[in-house]
Amino acid sequence: MQTETEIYEADRLTLLDCDKIKLSRTKSGFLSLNYDGREYPRIDATRLMPFYSKTTYISLCYENEEKELREAGVIKDMADLDSEQYRVLEEYLSYKYYMPEITKVYNIRDNMQGSIFVKTDTTSGEKTICVKDWYQNFRMLTDDYLYVCDAEGNKYFCENIHKLDKKSRSVLEMFT
Amino acid sequence: MKLKIKLPPDGRDVHFSLPFGFTAQGEKCDGVFAADDIGIYIYTDGSLTAEYRLTDFAEFRCHRMVGTSMAQGVSENGGETAFCGFSQDMFLRFAEVMKLLEHYVRTGELITDTGEDEPVCPKCGMPLEGGNECVFCRSKGSVMLRLLKMIRPYRKYFFAAVVFTVISQAVWVFVPYLDRVLIDRYVTPKTDNVHGIAVIALSMMTLLAAAGVSDFFNMKNSFRVALNLGKDIREAVFEKSQQLSMSSVSKRTAGELINRISNDAAKIEDFVTANGKDMIVKLLSFIILSTLMFLINPKLALLTLLPTPFALILVKKLEHIMHMNYTRVWKTSVAHSEKLHDILHGIREVKSFGREKQEEERYSRYSLAFTKACIRGETMWYMTQPFAYFIVTAGNYLMLYFGGKMVLGEALTLGQLVQFTTYASMLYDPINWLFQMPRLLADASVSAGKVFEILDERSDVRDIPDPVRLEIKGDIELDDVSFGYRSYDPVLKNITCNIRQGEMIGIVGHSGVGKSTLINLIMRLYDCTGGEIRIDGVPIGDIEQHSLRSQIGVVLQESFLFDGSVYDNISYAKPQAGFEEIIRAAKIANAHEFITKLPDGYNTKVGNKGFQLSGGERQRIAIARAVLNDPRIIILDEATASLDTQTEKMIQQSLAKLTEGRTTIAIAHRLSTLSNADRLFVLDKGRLAETGTHKELMEKKGGYYRLVMAQRQTTKMRAAT
Ligand SMILES: Nc1ncnc2c1ncn2[C@@H]1O[C@H](COP(=O)(O)OP(=O)(O)O)[C@@H](O)[C@H]1O
Ligand SMILES: [Mg+2]
Repeated sequence: MQTETEIYEADRLTLLDCDKIKLSRTKSGFLSLNYDGREYPRIDATRLMPFYSKTTYISLCYENEEKELREAGVIKDMADLDSEQYRVLEEYLSYKYYMPEITKVYNIRDNMQGSIFVKTDTTSGEKTICVKDWYQNFRMLTDDYLYVCDAEGNKYFCENIHKLDKKSRSVLEMFT
Repeated sequence: MKLKIKLPPDGRDVHFSLPFGFTAQGEKCDGVFAADDIGIYIYTDGSLTAEYRLTDFAEFRCHRMVGTSMAQGVSENGGETAFCGFSQDMFLRFAEVMKLLEHYVRTGELITDTGEDEPVCPKCGMPLEGGNECVFCRSKGSVMLRLLKMIRPYRKYFFAAVVFTVISQAVWVFVPYLDRVLIDRYVTPKTDNVHGIAVIALSMMTLLAAAGVSDFFNMKNSFRVALNLGKDIREAVFEKSQQLSMSSVSKRTAGELINRISNDAAKIEDFVTANGKDMIVKLLSFIILSTLMFLINPKLALLTLLPTPFALILVKKLEHIMHMNYTRVWKTSVAHSEKLHDILHGIREVKSFGREKQEEERYSRYSLAFTKACIRGETMWYMTQPFAYFIVTAGNYLMLYFGGKMVLGEALTLGQLVQFTTYASMLYDPINWLFQMPRLLADASVSAGKVFEILDERSDVRDIPDPVRLEIKGDIELDDVSFGYRSYDPVLKNITCNIRQGEMIGIVGHSGVGKSTLINLIMRLYDCTGGEIRIDGVPIGDIEQHSLRSQIGVVLQESFLFDGSVYDNISYAKPQAGFEEIIRAAKIANAHEFITKLPDGYNTKVGNKGFQLSGGERQRIAIARAVLNDPRIIILDEATASLDTQTEKMIQQSLAKLTEGRTTIAIAHRLSTLSNADRLFVLDKGRLAETGTHKELMEKKGGYYRLVMAQRQTTKMRAAT
């Protein structure tokens, strides 16, 4: 049950003061946060706009005793953290949002059933990515940014497809 | 599922061992997660780095993150320990291992025989689903061949069209021969045989008239084939779209489906009218013409045909490029019609937020993209055209040069040369047409491909070969039911419950907990991923879908009214219903009174989603529609949520009458709505947390109690302001 103050705070964006943040890794795999003396033993950090910016508007959430999700607050810009804190948070985020970048596209096969098989080179090795319902899962977020979500739930991206080599671009041409 | 994928580097004998890519702290590594009946062993980069005892944990689970997931153990007091992190392709295997380990610490039984993986297609890696040929990779023959097969019912007309075209082509082949006779026999020798000339002129006239007539019959038959084919395709796609399961349909937007049903069918229709039979005819005329030319003069004929192989190579190359271009055109066209549909569908929102200007801009962006894609394709095409034309006609110049020389050297008569050049120019017609092929073929085959894509899709909710047609009584059993819209993301977990015939069940829980999902499963709009649902003891997978759903009455929160009258909409579930039945249904739903006030009574048109009616009125019509068929099971998913309390009370009274003796499952946000439910099911985090009557649950002071209290408080707060 919410207390009156929580109801009151629910419609406010709590921006955290980066100087008062003390994050650390825990053995649970999550983070712990000490903010201005208040202890949060289990914190999950979320990029609020993962496509738009990877280091700004990071929400820190915890579960209260009733296992309901509550937000401790939002870090407006990670750059305001000191370097050690920045490293801890950045490490956590890049783990949680681990996403190989596509560096080369060899070919794309369309099975004419809504799935495509994309043979690529990524930052984590060569891989044939199987994309189901590709109209939705293989799409351009902007004119440059390709976002891919494969059948198993892995995600891939390519920051700027126009910077790929000529062969890859011409392969992608038809599907973007 | 195979759960021994990568063995521990030290050769330890374990039951499960899976590779992982991240340490518990999220650093990239090359690791192995291994477990036996005593402990869990974590190897990173070749050596054992951590060891856990199973008995230290009460629960094992996988926490899904965005790009990765982690395996965790939870101790008795709730403390979590992360074992390792892994990429999502390992998720299902880790989830299975965690489930088995948890089962082991709970029951002492360790299941190690986990079987093999579902066989997958070696080519694409998709599950084979029992068959031994991959539905995706099975060669389906070329799209064009399949189109030809669809012409089959109209082969009579098609054949007639071909015959008439051949006749008119034959005429055109014969006319140059008359030219030659005219020149060589009457013009060059300068005889004044006017009679002969007149005969020739007359036969030319007759021949041309015959050509005209056969052209008419040709067109008549071609159109007949093409238009019927178009109709067949439209109907087939529509029919299929009706049969596909909810999950297949909902992954496509209405705009896309509309595009496939109307545009793509029209493209194919056009193609068949204009080119389908031409393909045969042009090929024929190519063969005939080149034979004739060889008969007249083999050397000249060879010269004329010299560039053709080059042309063929070019065509092949162009075909690929044009296919690409037309795929893009297709995509932008779908995006464009999707957008159009979306905006028009939400026109109320557009107007009420005053966003007309922005929507106009948004629309023109898509429209522009479509135009641009078309222009790009056409430009590409017309850029290559003059070049291609030049190659093809190059033979013509050679032929004229050598032919002219032969006439001068009297190896050839002038008439023969004229006949020959006429044939040559006629021959360029099929060759040129061949050049048009890549463009036409690409355009049509993209559309045909998209049409077949839908036609070939297998519905994932299928009837078994001999489904049961059941007279439903209304017992519903859920046996360990689990379900997720995506296999890795469970929404409902291990739900087991019994609903007896005639019972009224209320389902409560936070929004997003899976209440609607549960009733979707009962209606079998989706198949459970685990467990089984039985109605009157029969698994719903065995019941014919139509027979199942026609005996369930459903009212959803936002009911859709079809374009038509109140009468049409109420009788939707049972078109043969008599008028009195309909009035009775309307009375039960408390709709009769307001319907009588409508200007045209039951004939009032309420189409276009029923915008002319208020939310409550629309809902009451929907309730009337649901009860008309006298269903044995009634499902109310927030059916009265949009009504005011007064109306809701009225409807509830009538519903109380109605639900008597019928199994009713009601979902309501306002808990007071469920006050007359026999039992309440409380869903929490996808599990069935509590069941019982209102009173029992209030005394238990569990999740339901908290929900009620929270709602009372907000009601009070609302009352206070
Ligand atoms: N068609 C769908 N595809 C994917 N996820 C869905 C779909 N429908 C619902 N969900 C998800 O399933 C969960 C349960 O939804 P639902 O059953 O509609 O909840 P509610 O209890 O409010 O009726 C939600 O998290 C929702 O996001
Ligand atoms: Mg719902």
